[in-house]
Amino acid sequence: MPSQFTFSFEGKPVSAREGQSVAAALLAIGERCLRIDEAGNPKGAVCGIGACWECRCSIDGIPDTRACMTPARPGMIVRRQLGLDA
Amino acid sequence: MAAAIEAVRRGCRVTVIDDAQRPGGQIYRQAHPALEGQEHAEPAEVARKHALIERFEHVVGKLDYRAGASVYAAFPNGELHIAEGERAEVLRPDATILATGVRELAIPFPGWTLPGVMFAGGAQAILKSHRVLPGTRAVIAGCGPLPLVVAAQLLRAGGQVAALAILRSLGGMLAQPLSLWRGREIVREGFRYAATVRRAGVPRFTGYVPVRARGKEQLEAVVLARVDAEGRVVAGTEREMACDLLAINYGFVANCELAAMAGARMRRDPLVGGWLPAVDAFGRTSIPGLFAAGDGAELRGALIAEADGTIVGAAAATAASRGDAALTAELADAIARRARHLEFQKAVRMTLALPAELWRLVTDDTIVCRCENVRFGEIKSALAGGHHSLNAVKRNVRSGMGWCGGRTCLPAIASLIELSTGSAPTEMMTPRPLTRPVSFAALARRGKVGAK
Repeated sequence: MPSQFTFSFEGKPVSAREGQSVAAALLAIGERCLRIDEAGNPKGAVCGIGACWECRCSIDGIPDTRACMTPARPGMIVRRQLGLDA
Repeated sequence: MAAAIEAVRRGCRVTVIDDAQRPGGQIYRQAHPALEGQEHAEPAEVARKHALIERFEHVVGKLDYRAGASVYAAFPNGELHIAEGERAEVLRPDATILATGVRELAIPFPGWTLPGVMFAGGAQAILKSHRVLPGTRAVIAGCGPLPLVVAAQLLRAGGQVAALAILRSLGGMLAQPLSLWRGREIVREGFRYAATVRRAGVPRFTGYVPVRARGKEQLEAVVLARVDAEGRVVAGTEREMACDLLAINYGFVANCELAAMAGARMRRDPLVGGWLPAVDAFGRTSIPGLFAAGDGAELRGALIAEADGTIVGAAAATAASRGDAALTAELADAIARRARHLEFQKAVRMTLALPAELWRLVTDDTIVCRCENVRFGEIKSALAGGHHSLNAVKRNVRSGMGWCGGRTCLPAIASLIELSTGSAPTEMMTPRPLTRPVSFAALARRGKVGAK
């Protein structure tokens, strides 16, 4: 894996370093909203350690994936999760 | 880590199930080796971290270390159900040591669900583990020592801290000089963190707490207000601060669900982690073969957790017939270390005590259970209907039934029940398998019960 690479968030390229989580790479560029919940509230990372599940989003088409626990990888496709949809 | 090292030293076959990708837990959390950058913790803490991790690395070849795996159920018969990526497995060890640690406690307030409101330790974890600043302009709030430490570390990493709001001055610990002397190495580190914050000219608001957060898509500002000794907001003291990160910590709650699920007798003490498995001096719970060590057994900090791990690891590796007197003699050193640091922890605890009225920050329209969007008003109507236990409240309004399994909201709901009804719930919400979401694919690929 290259030490510096990009993945996609909402169709935009985001740069990340090997070893960073998806949530960390997004926080680094000020992208805090990872999900709009079923009631329409924007949600982002809270506990940073995988306990609260608030940062779950769609990663490579798999919904409910915790951004804080998922290492960023080159070419990954990350999307905000809308309610229960991927 | 300390428990595993000790059990290996005593000739046991050891499996370590670690939720994280690298050993270290929360305090000694390690960054990915490919990530360059420096530690922002005090050098003495970094030295303690490297010393313990080095001791663990020394034995890691002799044990089965499962990174990124988690126990999602524990049963009274000793079975542990483990999820590891897209597969699951059942283990049946002779002895189990729960070293589950703690999570952070929040007092909910209007706007706390906005992206940008994080736990202080969570913000610290992003910095420590990923070398990323979780915000460009931070307000840090809460009680106890962690907000100060996180403020200093964010500043050292080049971040901007707009305000540090601490409920009770840490200076109050000076009333216990003997305790401070016993914990002098930690006190020294605390002074250095305070110096970092002072040199940066960070405005400090002692006695202030966040009362609401504002923003559309994400956090834009937080309103701080002063509270009196009972925890009531003092009118006319509100001040709004612009920020994109609000890092809060009102103390810690033990990850106690597995102990309770396995049937261990539980006790509740909010000052040291809420519900905890009752343990003896060697970490034995009421279930034979089930042990608990470290902060998950009682909130006491990393130094005690290490000593405690050694003690409990030894007890778990030793046949009960050997007798406690022999163990006490062998472990004199670790037992003395644990006792010395406990004196200091007693002083720290004073800074973590929450006045009951502070829970009135939770207004009726505040979301308490974030997963299920349950507001305090709904919980209050369940209470008015006579549903006073956590289980009954859950059955009526779904609080604690969401993705996090109640980890985030249950401690708050317990305190809110106490505030509203005058008595604390006597039982925790019954923890059911699974303690965390596991995919059907993983369950379908579950291995057979192994005699580990």
